[in-house]
Amino acid sequence: MLKFIVRRIVWTIPVILLVILMTFFMMRLIKGNPFQVTERPVPAAIQANLDRKFHLDQPWYMQYLYYVRGVFTADLGPSLLQRDRDVNDIVKEHFPVSMKLGGLAMLFAIVVGIPLGVIAALKQNTAWDYAAMAVVNAGYALPNFLIATLLIYFFAVKWREETPFPTNGWTGPSSWVLPVIALGHAPMTVLARIVRGSMLETLQQDYIRTAKAKGLRWRRVVGLHVLRNSLIPAVTAAAPLLGYLIAGSFIVETIFGLPGIGRYFIISVASRDYSVTMGITVLLSMIIIVANLVVDILYGFLDPRTRDVRT
Amino acid sequence: MLTDRRSEFEATLTRTAEARSQEAGAAIARASLLKDALHRFSRNRAAVVAAFAFLVMVAFVTFVPIFRDADPNAVDFSKAFLSPSLDYPFGTDEFGRDLFVRTALGGRISIAIGFAATFAIMLVGVVYGALSGFAGGRVDNGMMRFLDALYGLPYLPFAIITLAIFGRVNFWTMVVALTVASWFTTARVMRGQIITLKENDYVRAANALGARWYRILFRHLLPNTLGVILIFVFLELPGVVLGEAFLSFLGMGIEPPKASWGSLAQDGYTAYQAHPYIIVIPSLCIGWLILSAFFIADGLRDALDPRTREKF
Repeated sequence: MLKFIVRRIVWTIPVILLVILMTFFMMRLIKGNPFQVTERPVPAAIQANLDRKFHLDQPWYMQYLYYVRGVFTADLGPSLLQRDRDVNDIVKEHFPVSMKLGGLAMLFAIVVGIPLGVIAALKQNTAWDYAAMAVVNAGYALPNFLIATLLIYFFAVKWREETPFPTNGWTGPSSWVLPVIALGHAPMTVLARIVRGSMLETLQQDYIRTAKAKGLRWRRVVGLHVLRNSLIPAVTAAAPLLGYLIAGSFIVETIFGLPGIGRYFIISVASRDYSVTMGITVLLSMIIIVANLVVDILYGFLDPRTRDVRT
Repeated sequence: MLTDRRSEFEATLTRTAEARSQEAGAAIARASLLKDALHRFSRNRAAVVAAFAFLVMVAFVTFVPIFRDADPNAVDFSKAFLSPSLDYPFGTDEFGRDLFVRTALGGRISIAIGFAATFAIMLVGVVYGALSGFAGGRVDNGMMRFLDALYGLPYLPFAIITLAIFGRVNFWTMVVALTVASWFTTARVMRGQIITLKENDYVRAANALGARWYRILFRHLLPNTLGVILIFVFLELPGVVLGEAFLSFLGMGIEPPKASWGSLAQDGYTAYQAHPYIIVIPSLCIGWLILSAFFIADGLRDALDPRTREKF
């Protein structure tokens, strides 16, 4: 087991280096100079000084090494546009909002999605199942900008007298509710579907029949055997769920005007603040890579069968 | 159901009769894989409804702009923000443009981008995955590590940066951006398929008989993955359509006055308080397409390869 974990961790290092390298090259491919966006042209001497300051006068592999060193010492470099701020400052300011939004949305997905999937599976082909799956399919199909807009339209505009939810901002618990639902509904549907599928599969296993045959109460069979064995596959869904959360946060933060990292990413692209664009991309990549690592290791613990196959 | 059984019975009778009089080959051709799959697909009610819904949407975006006598870009402020009515089934926008024809035209762009990007994803993914799985060993390992790194990149930022590299957004740059950001899953699944198929006895036999690698790849391996590829077309399509909608919604889509469902929804979002129907209609179109593609993929999976049920 230890060997498996160590090997898996060691493997992520070249992956991280490769991700940084690819991001780095993509940023170099973007045309345009951030210092020339202002109205007055920048004199050549100042341009040269700026280039030197940001190591832009050095060959690409040196720039890359500088950047990698920065990433591993938790320094994402200076912002190219806001002269007095580092990318770290921007991340520190905006990232906690995104983390909280994403965390709460994930919680929403788990708290709503897993019970929906469990009910649908236990009552397969009944009205319960159909109702749960109708909710799940509708949630799956409707883009989150529609869900977000409708939530605002009804709860924050039409019924604003009866409900405490504001249309935008990130000012307190009442302002968290609508964005969290808007962001969480997509991962919720994915989770519900996976749990339902894996429950149905578990219910057909021989050990379930055995448990029933030996006279165990159904409630106990479900709690002891079915749930445990069906929720393990749901752990592997964490990676796609994270993808949904990140992509969705761009839309939800924009619609609700939240000061999160996704919205700032879009601003940085529009203003050609490459170091910020790159810093956020690398940061999100790290989160995805680490999440995949954790899921793999966790899965190795939960389901010993996967260990041998993967090492 | 009854007619099904009867025709099956009749087919058996004819088959026996033919087997007696003719060569066996003709009889086998009658129960081809395709016919079998079609039969299974047509018994899956959800899939049939979904296929019909899909065709309805394609017909809507194809024929409405042809038969509806309305200029999609004609500005007439006296007709701004008309609610849906018989004259304007989907209402009008802030410039008084007919949203019925604009939704259809937007659908053309969304669906066309969807299919073009899906095709490109299949092309890149199948080639990459097949080569990786077929080569095996170190090549395979290296190619998969590269894929791992790509998996680490977040989807939307990846697509947005690709668009920024092009410096402009049009049909083809959008297709490239969406393809670049989402071909990995197909590649990974294709690799798995090829590796599984490689172990089959008929591949060993072909090898033993001295068949060249390309003959094994193109004659024995790739044709057996066609079913999976077809399923993946309908699994990838919704993701790509949604990705395009996200980008358009964030203001990085097709340039106006052209529109896609995503940019129409974006237009609707700016006026949602007074006129919610404008954002609802294109969003429902996206949902319609996503759901129908999903159930088609589901039906195809059951129909083409019953063994792989619940595998994806």
